[in-house]
Amino acid sequence: MSHKILSIWLIFGLCSTVLAQNSFQIKGVVKHANDLTPAVGATIVGENLYTFSSDTGAFTINNLSKAKYTFTISHIGCEPKTISVAVGPNMKELNVYLSEDATVLEEVKVNAKTSEREVMETPIVTQTVSKEFLDQNRENTLMQTLSKVAGVSTINIGSGQSKPVIRGLGFNRVAVVQNGIKHEAQQWGNDHGLEIDQHGIENIQIIKGPASLLYGSDAIAGVVDIQPNKIPQPNSFAGEVNIIGESNNDLLGVSAGVTTRKDKWFYRGRLTYRDYGDYKVPTDQINYENYVFELHENNLRNTAGNEADASLGIGFISDGIKTETVFSNVNAKNGFFANAHGLEVRSSSIDYDSSNRDIDLPYHKVNHFKITNNTAIKIGDHNLQIDLGYQNNNREEHSEPVPHGYMPTPSNTKERSFIKNTYSLNFRDAFKPTDQHDIVVGLNTEYQNNNIGGWGFLIPEYNRFTVGVFAYDQFEVNSNFHVLAGFRYDVGSVATKAYFDWYQSTVNNDDGSTSYIYLQRSQDKTLNFGSLSTSLGLSYIKNKTSYKVNIGRSFRMPLANELASDGVNYHMYRYEQGNIDLDPEISYQLDLAVDHTKKSFSIGVSPFINIFQNYIYLNPTSNYYETIQIYEYTQAKVFRIGGEFNTSTTILKKFQIDASVEYVYSRQTSGAKEGFTLPFSPPLSSLLSAKYQFNKLLFFNNPQFIADYRITAAQEEIVPPEEKTDGYQVLNMSFLTEIDVFTNNLPLEMRIKLNNVFDTKYFNHTSFYRLIDVPEAGRNISLSITIPFKK
Amino acid sequence: MKIKLRYFYFLLLTLIVACSSDDVGIDEEKPTISIDYADGFPQGCSELTRGETYSFRAQTTDNLSLASYSIDIHHNFDHHTHDDQVGDCSLEDIKTAVNPLIFIENYTIDEGGTTYEINVSITIPDDVDTGDYHCAYSVTDATGWQSRTSIDIKIIE
Repeated sequence: MSHKILSIWLIFGLCSTVLAQNSFQIKGVVKHANDLTPAVGATIVGENLYTFSSDTGAFTINNLSKAKYTFTISHIGCEPKTISVAVGPNMKELNVYLSEDATVLEEVKVNAKTSEREVMETPIVTQTVSKEFLDQNRENTLMQTLSKVAGVSTINIGSGQSKPVIRGLGFNRVAVVQNGIKHEAQQWGNDHGLEIDQHGIENIQIIKGPASLLYGSDAIAGVVDIQPNKIPQPNSFAGEVNIIGESNNDLLGVSAGVTTRKDKWFYRGRLTYRDYGDYKVPTDQINYENYVFELHENNLRNTAGNEADASLGIGFISDGIKTETVFSNVNAKNGFFANAHGLEVRSSSIDYDSSNRDIDLPYHKVNHFKITNNTAIKIGDHNLQIDLGYQNNNREEHSEPVPHGYMPTPSNTKERSFIKNTYSLNFRDAFKPTDQHDIVVGLNTEYQNNNIGGWGFLIPEYNRFTVGVFAYDQFEVNSNFHVLAGFRYDVGSVATKAYFDWYQSTVNNDDGSTSYIYLQRSQDKTLNFGSLSTSLGLSYIKNKTSYKVNIGRSFRMPLANELASDGVNYHMYRYEQGNIDLDPEISYQLDLAVDHTKKSFSIGVSPFINIFQNYIYLNPTSNYYETIQIYEYTQAKVFRIGGEFNTSTTILKKFQIDASVEYVYSRQTSGAKEGFTLPFSPPLSSLLSAKYQFNKLLFFNNPQFIADYRITAAQEEIVPPEEKTDGYQVLNMSFLTEIDVFTNNLPLEMRIKLNNVFDTKYFNHTSFYRLIDVPEAGRNISLSITIPFKK
Repeated sequence: MKIKLRYFYFLLLTLIVACSSDDVGIDEEKPTISIDYADGFPQGCSELTRGETYSFRAQTTDNLSLASYSIDIHHNFDHHTHDDQVGDCSLEDIKTAVNPLIFIENYTIDEGGTTYEINVSITIPDDVDTGDYHCAYSVTDATGWQSRTSIDIKIIE
């Protein structure tokens, strides 16, 4: 195809040179700058002249006299171009290249609303995270990058793993969605991190509040929705290679991605590899209870890891249909701190300090394979969306075999393994019965099959099936006032399987005799749940200010571990006891969001009030089971209030200052821990950010300096077995720039980032290692280079 | 804009006031447990003889009410852990357990109270493996806070 165009273009080019008359003509070709395809039907307008470009992009203007002409060439989706031509003999053919308009719409919308306007109109409070934000703020994990968003924090397990926390709630209360499919792994686990490649993500929508209506169970506290990537332009080929190096954990990472599209078919692929050593903390010893752990060269012993990810997408787009299938695989292996993992203090004959890059015991490894298919079909007035997903999560925890209680020394290192298969099918139909109504009806189904292995027992094998149906209507009262109302009903069934210890325990019977039995840890049991979710929201726009109010009821189905745990978690040194009588968690929330945006100033505030009717909580009791403290899953009423505040101002166009504050207050208002907060409560925190944009500095194009100063208050609100955490202040700085290395090509992007500039020793209350008094990572210099390319 | 900022500060202030007013009445103190007194037993690196009976004693305290305690004696033939006492004991060579002493018992402190001395009489059986052992005490209070301490000991002929 491109050859044909090229030859036609060449013929036209040759033709134009042979013309030489008194009445002159302009001949030219209009093309798209990015992929050199002809711009068909471009308008060429000047004083007394007007024409269109043909199917090949060619145009001719006849009967011109010898003079200078100025005309403007415009085409849909492109930035118009104005050129001046001196018309005379021996004119060469003009080649006009039009660049894409900055806001290319992915699909042509009937109503010409910008996506910003749509976000303003919908009563659902979402926060959009762009590729630009991700690139500028990239940290070691996706969630660490997102924690710069007010109201979002993370639970980190070392330097390479983290899980999302929204307004103080995490684990299974935040749904992570990728390509329309809920990411399903072992989210309930303390030392589990999110298995998603953070490279190649273009757009993330964050909902900071209950969103069961749209996303079902688990979205009770919020959603991190990783959107499918944009469909590339026809006849395009683009890609990038990113190389990153870090000083603190000696990380080296490479990620390369390409996207290509002919006409209707498009493809994308990405490979990512990261390898890192133990991370360094600004202390040479760790004091945990009465123990003292000396650190070798500030290395947090055995926290090295690696990650290898691959993904491939194949898509097809035509009139009325759009479909893409994405295969991805994330494989990671991380060591755990050798001296104490969780709360258990360990000594070992392993020579951990011989290398800071080896991964010795204890460690975990995980492989997450995922296939998703997203298909959108337009039939008449109905926009149908079908999302299919299959996920296989295979996670293993290995540690040195050690006898515990009545358990003799196991024969291998595989303490636990989980193999979870999840099948998902989502369907939705969006239609407009009248101009004022946008109605969406849908169905979500999911089937999970969880298998266990290893010598340690924590959660049983189970099968889980859930179905939810929902409908909502966004009603336009007038163009500035919208109402959204919806409801949803979910039913679910969890079938747990029986498990018996592989070793005998000593049991003293009432009659004084002693028996040795294989204790039963879980039973064959099927439990059914059903729950209603509702939501009512208003959105009102007045001039530059938007107001949103939402009130809703969300739910979460109890997990198999909450229902049927019955075993010692040696990492946490606790005996975890499930409760088969737990009800689905119900939460009511009132959300407010006010945003005022002017050209060089914006301010926003988003407070919330939240009541949990029955928050499922792992309560530390006063009792022992075989000398291990019993923690039991119980339900308590919880009251929470908090919110975020953001402001941003631009001074003299070059200097931008952003400030944000986040705060959550939680109280258990019933149950054994009445008056206490919830575990992992993030403290009051604010982020001050200053950005200065230079014009040009030496050979740097568009250089930017960014300084981020985080001030976090002490966390005095704790619940057993937590410790209070002091406040801290940390400064991060970065320098971003473009460099024209290759002429006639896209500029190279470079980022130098200095984290924890003063090597401050501080503790993060929501870090997994906080419990054993491990401070956060010390100073880190990272250098990231991205080489984009295009054809 | 000033008006809006004022509203926000007002909101923030009410929030802070609302949150700091009811922080009374919850127990944030852990119990304590110690063998660091004259009668505390066993002391670090103690040698216990098979067939003998010993009084295992540790002092516990809490600000409100003690609840339960436990004693766990298990072998450390594989050197898997170490104690939290001052000074290191010399460990014997690593060996495989044949018939190690396993003592796992939980007790409740029914009377509660703010001080309690653990005093449990334990006889070391004649037939258990000799070598390095580990004795771990733990105590909880009524709220669910826990404290632990552990001691390296040896069982000898």
